[in-house]
Amino acid sequence: MSNFQPDIGPETAGPLSSASMRGPRHVEKGSMIRMIGGEMPEHAEQRAPAGGDLYRHLLGRLPTGTRVLVAGPHHTGLLDALADGRTVTCLVRSQPDAEALSARGFTVLCGTLAKLADTDRYDVVVALDGTARLCSPEGPQLDWAEAVRVLKRVLRPGGTLLLTVENELGVHRLVDRGTVTALTSAATAAEWRPLGEFGNAPGRPDRLAAALGAEGLPVSGLAAAWPSQAEPSLLVTPETLRYGPLDALAALASGAVATAYQGKAVLSDPRRLASAAVRRGLGAELAPAWLAVAQLSTRPAPMVPIPPVSYLRGGRVVEGADTLPAGRLLEELLLTAALGHDLPALRRLLTGWMAALPAAAADNVLVEGDRYTLLDESRPERPDGLARFASTLALGGYAHPWPAITDVTRLTEVLAGAAGLETAPPAPEPAAAPDSRRDHEQQLTDLRRQLADAEARGRFFEAELEKRDAELGRAKVQIAAFSGSFAYRAAKAGLGIARKARHRLYKGRQ
Amino acid sequence: MHHGNHFYGHAHVLAEYCGLDPADPPRIDGYLQHGWNVVDGLGAGTPYAPGRPIFVWSERTRRRAWSMNRPMATVIGSPFLYLLRSTSEESGAERDGTIWYPFHGWEGQEVDGDHRRLIDEIVATEPGPITFCLYWHEYSDARIRAAYERAGRVICHGYRGYMRMRTDTRFLHKQLAELRRHKRVASNRLSSAIFYGVAAGCEPAVYGNPMQLAKEDAPTAERIRREWAELHGIAPDPGAARRIAMAELGDGYLASPAELRATLGWTRGDQQ
Repeated sequence: MSNFQPDIGPETAGPLSSASMRGPRHVEKGSMIRMIGGEMPEHAEQRAPAGGDLYRHLLGRLPTGTRVLVAGPHHTGLLDALADGRTVTCLVRSQPDAEALSARGFTVLCGTLAKLADTDRYDVVVALDGTARLCSPEGPQLDWAEAVRVLKRVLRPGGTLLLTVENELGVHRLVDRGTVTALTSAATAAEWRPLGEFGNAPGRPDRLAAALGAEGLPVSGLAAAWPSQAEPSLLVTPETLRYGPLDALAALASGAVATAYQGKAVLSDPRRLASAAVRRGLGAELAPAWLAVAQLSTRPAPMVPIPPVSYLRGGRVVEGADTLPAGRLLEELLLTAALGHDLPALRRLLTGWMAALPAAAADNVLVEGDRYTLLDESRPERPDGLARFASTLALGGYAHPWPAITDVTRLTEVLAGAAGLETAPPAPEPAAAPDSRRDHEQQLTDLRRQLADAEARGRFFEAELEKRDAELGRAKVQIAAFSGSFAYRAAKAGLGIARKARHRLYKGRQ
Repeated sequence: MHHGNHFYGHAHVLAEYCGLDPADPPRIDGYLQHGWNVVDGLGAGTPYAPGRPIFVWSERTRRRAWSMNRPMATVIGSPFLYLLRSTSEESGAERDGTIWYPFHGWEGQEVDGDHRRLIDEIVATEPGPITFCLYWHEYSDARIRAAYERAGRVICHGYRGYMRMRTDTRFLHKQLAELRRHKRVASNRLSSAIFYGVAAGCEPAVYGNPMQLAKEDAPTAERIRREWAELHGIAPDPGAARRIAMAELGDGYLASPAELRATLGWTRGDQQ
């Protein structure tokens, strides 16, 4: 099944000039798998590997002509990018995955990290999936620091380690409905030792840098990754998250999680949590993951520069804080005004929005003073933006100036009026917002209150109706008494006397 | 919803502002605040249907309503301010004298006080001609009316209406026109009329025997004197008075016709 060729590895293949490595992906002749021990013959990784355009862009910056070990599951898109001018060796524990990689022409070491020998050395070790999926069930279970030590051993002097660490207290964890510490957890798939926050990986970017430094791997670049370790679409350095344009960064973080969590079941809305974390200066601490670039050198020269900010915009990577539009996310300003019952501010924002960018969603508009700019020009137009915001306001658990209006269509009409529109915009298409358990809870509370109010109102109206019925009865008698002719009144009086007489007779018989 | 919505033709004024038939305002989905008050915006003794909104004049009233366990309040501003905004003042018209609103009772509460002594105080204080505006209740009392007629011109803006009957739908229009003819607006109690007068460009004054309503809650009257002290006296600072009066009437909070239609429940087919 696999080509077991123990003698041919990157190190023994001899030094390769960088010129010979340029051009299309370098595929070792008769690509092969080397079984290093501890492989998982029947196990294919369940969770998605590290991937995405931002990682690919980052890896594309590695110097060509280098030897790269890619440790752990990585998307083949990343491997292809790396292989463009570099010699790539993959380390995976899953044999089926190893075979798939081999079939695509990659050199693969299949087995557990504990068996990785330091006879092969690399210019770069890439571990963007972190260290959690490097050991197999058989053999020793290396903790985070031990795993880093093994990865360090296979680096050449001056070599570079690209490593990500999942933040066990990141926003993604805080909003996760699932547990990560159960064997049956869907979140961790086939984790046989699901440690979650009981693990010992560093819990803050500065501690990550310190830990790597203590291992002799001083860090030359560090970034917080949003919305996930597996596929970030936003990387921001901790310094930028401390001193940078926080409002715009918060909008980017919110947008990054919005895309990742479309329609997904969560505990609470990750967009608000991400944005609040960044705006309040906790963006680095609550990011779902961190990326570190470290070097086996006492005087590291950054091999892969980490820009202050890099993010995806319509499939393109944009870098640098100066590319960020200024201002705060319209949706959050609207919510703030609604929460504060600040009708004048709410009307000003709605009017400005509808005048400047009526076809943009509220979460794609930045506001600075009177300026409304698009956050992401590549996003499709949203003519139902206003109705969508009405839905957020009504169902997202936000106080607002029209508490008695519970119907989204009517609230949309109110907002349209407040925005200076004469007619309400189209109803929203099915929302793709995160499906938050907390919102469900609030909706339940609201519905209970509405039901109690409706019942109380039912009783109230019943009492009113009885009162009116009595009034109507009296009025009818008066009308009859004053409207009929004398003969009619006389006849009616006679009838009354007759009825009483009959009643007396009837009572007498009993 | 409640017949109080039609008092003083408030619903009619709002219907006209919204571009609907002012003679036949649609049913309002909630309770309109029908006068300046220092409670939750509801009139005294108004039976409240739970869950329905109270449409209050000011943000301050909304917050107070919340503190009184009435969270379903929405600020729309006072109908008088809507009327004021849509009827421009005649340019060049001379303002003269004082329009004086003696504190009024209503069907449920009579005012107890000496009108004669109050009139003497007013005449001694006011520099110009005085127009006494009596509430319909006092206006229809020949004895009270005659007492005022001896001291000045006596008018009445009309009947506010009851159970949607005999409502003078031009009440506010008449009041606005009268206010715009006077330099000063005064009363022995801080009330809607003073706020309306200030909004219409009069200088306010609140002085004289405040009189007592039958079974009146004295602490509330005291609270009004304490909390809105800037509006009390023979000649309060007009700048401060205007700032306070406009806030109480909901200045800055008025909705557009389209927003007001939707807020009051006037856009749905079943309400038309």
